[in-house]
Amino acid sequence: MPKIFFATDLHGSEMCWRKFLNAAKFYDADVLICGGDMTGKAMIPIVEENGHYTVTIASERQVVSANQIGDIEAQIRRKGYYPLHVTPKRLQELDEDADKRKETFQQVMLDGVRRWMNMASEKLRGSGVRIFVCPGNDDEMEVDDVVRESDMVELGEGRIVDIDGFRMISTGWSNHTPWNTHREETEDKLGERIEAMAKQIDDPTRAIFNLHCPPYRSGLDEAPAIDADLKLMHGGRALRPVGSTAVRQAIDKHQPMLSLHGHIHESKGAVKLGKTLAINPGSSYEEGILMAAVINLDAKKGIKSYQLLNG
Amino acid sequence: MADTTMGSAGARPTLFLRNATGLVKAWSTFDAFVYSFWSVNLITLGLYGMSFAYGFPDGQLLAGVLLTGVLVTFLVITYAGLVSVMPRTGGDYAWQSRILGGGIGFVLAITGWWFTLWLWTPIYANILVAQFFAPLAYTLGWTSVATFFTTPGNGVFVACLVVLAFVSLVVTLGMETYARIQKICFWIGLVGLAVTCGLLLFASAQDFQNAFNREATSLFGAPAGAYQATIDAASKGGFAGHDFSFFSLGPTILLLPILAFYLLWPNWGATLYGEVRGAKDVRKPFFSMFWGLWVTVALVALVIVLMAKTMGWQFYNSANAAYWNSVFAVSGAPAPPVPIWPYPVMFAGWLVDNHLFQALLIVVMGLWFFGWAGTLFLSSTRVIFAAAFDRVLPSWAANISAKRRVPYGSLILMIVPSLVVSAIWAYRPSFQTIFLDATAVIAITFLGTTIAAIILPWRRKDLYDASPIAKYKIAGIPTITVVGVITAAFLVYMLWEWSFNVVYGTAFSISLSSPVYFGFTYLLAIVIYVAAYIVRKRQGIDLNRIHHEIPVE
Repeated sequence: MPKIFFATDLHGSEMCWRKFLNAAKFYDADVLICGGDMTGKAMIPIVEENGHYTVTIASERQVVSANQIGDIEAQIRRKGYYPLHVTPKRLQELDEDADKRKETFQQVMLDGVRRWMNMASEKLRGSGVRIFVCPGNDDEMEVDDVVRESDMVELGEGRIVDIDGFRMISTGWSNHTPWNTHREETEDKLGERIEAMAKQIDDPTRAIFNLHCPPYRSGLDEAPAIDADLKLMHGGRALRPVGSTAVRQAIDKHQPMLSLHGHIHESKGAVKLGKTLAINPGSSYEEGILMAAVINLDAKKGIKSYQLLNG
Repeated sequence: MADTTMGSAGARPTLFLRNATGLVKAWSTFDAFVYSFWSVNLITLGLYGMSFAYGFPDGQLLAGVLLTGVLVTFLVITYAGLVSVMPRTGGDYAWQSRILGGGIGFVLAITGWWFTLWLWTPIYANILVAQFFAPLAYTLGWTSVATFFTTPGNGVFVACLVVLAFVSLVVTLGMETYARIQKICFWIGLVGLAVTCGLLLFASAQDFQNAFNREATSLFGAPAGAYQATIDAASKGGFAGHDFSFFSLGPTILLLPILAFYLLWPNWGATLYGEVRGAKDVRKPFFSMFWGLWVTVALVALVIVLMAKTMGWQFYNSANAAYWNSVFAVSGAPAPPVPIWPYPVMFAGWLVDNHLFQALLIVVMGLWFFGWAGTLFLSSTRVIFAAAFDRVLPSWAANISAKRRVPYGSLILMIVPSLVVSAIWAYRPSFQTIFLDATAVIAITFLGTTIAAIILPWRRKDLYDASPIAKYKIAGIPTITVVGVITAAFLVYMLWEWSFNVVYGTAFSISLSSPVYFGFTYLLAIVIYVAAYIVRKRQGIDLNRIHHEIPVE
């Protein structure tokens, strides 16, 4: 019976993606599921001039030579950012022109996803391991096309897939957030999106709901409260449930065996919602730590065991 | 998409950010400072803890406070460093588990943050009685109420129940609501402190003596001349103090383990910093804890100087000596004229000859308790959650009620044992020596974290090298290691004194009940871990693998 390795919200951290792929061997997993928000949030310019390179990482400005640039790029990717080689003139253009910035960011980001897909093929082709990714609300729609091109990684979004007799539905869409990201919609629409897939599942005891957004008031959806200016309130101690009521209703109604979530990095946990084991492994991508869950499935028991990890 | 560019004004951009979830502005350092400031609460823990300083008459209290502040600053730097290396999943349990191993992390964190916090319930209750119920009841003339709360047995147990009910209410209300309550308590409490300090500042020593003699008679029926009688009572009990200006280094250093009772906790919120963005910036958590500590140290210094000026240093120590001598039934020590804990705020209030004002001042200063006590179990519940998610504890320990989001599993694990411990405190006073080690066991947990910090640059080189503190070195040695060694030395010194110096009442040579009790708790933690290890192994779960790093290449 399949052993699932689930991680989410890697946000461009190449270190976490490499660990994700290596988890198949490390944990003897048959199925790898990446729950969404694969792409990074920032580009760091590496400015080339007069034969040297200038870059600022974590507020520290560094001037490095050509033979150090590989390490610098790795450092940037490890944090989930994209290195961007530019001349001073190009940097100024990007600084002044929002459209050019947008175009460049998208190109860099899609190249990053392509790079990850290639890594997956190189590492796991012929291994028998299945890899699913389901882009999340932070991932632009174009990411789906890059994933579809992969000969190794399967796109989960909007599909019902069979995993050794267990059926999984997936979506990376979320309810509205203060950041107005790429895959957000009203709770009603999100509910319809999930229901369109869920109603095709005839046996909930063999069902997996891979829904990026966690269910509302589940303990898996507690995020630090922020004010209208996106400033953390009360020293970051005040937490609020920000999950989706549509996701909650879908779980309450269909009671799948397992539901997998992410989105709220701080809200690591595993809870029982009726008959459903709902898991949010959390995310610590900036540290290069792959927070994940390993779930052993069993033909009779459904979920034989599970474990949350900091890999 | 790429909405923001970042860089210093007029300079080149150094980062292009796109619109993405979670990109928030860092929390206010002031908000985090308030939490840290509450943790080293100068009124509740501070005044209560310093009332034991009379036991070190050759020590200079003010110098001791400043020295403790300096040494605890190293602890603050150590914890701030760890927060910046592992911000998202911080806290003693996570740091120790990831650096020292899951078993060690569980045993040290669970004893310090779970089992030992049971003991703090009656300590909190004792402070509530000493600083709120008893002085307020006496001031209002409700002598029977005051007697009820100050008599061992039912009164003490009821006070424990009040604390547990209050803490449970706070957990139910949630931190957002409580954070608002804390801020109100903070500002009103500060006003109360300003009034208290103002009274002490503008009154003369003679004014205070007159006021004390008047109210001791009025409220407690003491004979005339209670001020001098208090000094005499302490003297007959064997207390011989010095002037405020007296200084001797050795005895002053012996005050550190006493002062740790309240100054060791500016890092209390370190388990929470992991939940917020911005913690990666080492300055935020550092300054939150640093200012929480040093503003408290400054205010304590002010209060000590004012007490010495107006109450008289000899009187302050004598009042404490006379009270504790009577509580500990020291041979030959007469009962003090004012038979309750000598609360400096109540004494300062006596400078105004109006019982309503005095009661109001006690109520206002009581906000230092209510703004602080609510978080008694907050860190404990987080540690229990973390252990449950790691499958060391059963999953129900992390259960949350659907309607009000009350973490009832962890609350049960805190409240039920706390009730038992509270009953022991209330009805079996002979067991109370174990409570004296409540600070020591948490210090052991801190020591474990400090050792983790010392070896972090080698043990988790990947994490350390990628962190913002990797650039800080002293003579080529990572700063976190150097600072950690100093912190460890400080903690080991205190643990040594608590264990072997009879003056603290916790020495092994006095009674083995304390080491036996805590030994039992460590054993219990080991048993839980081993049992969980075996049970999970049968379920196909290897607890050793929780923190194993997956290869990158």
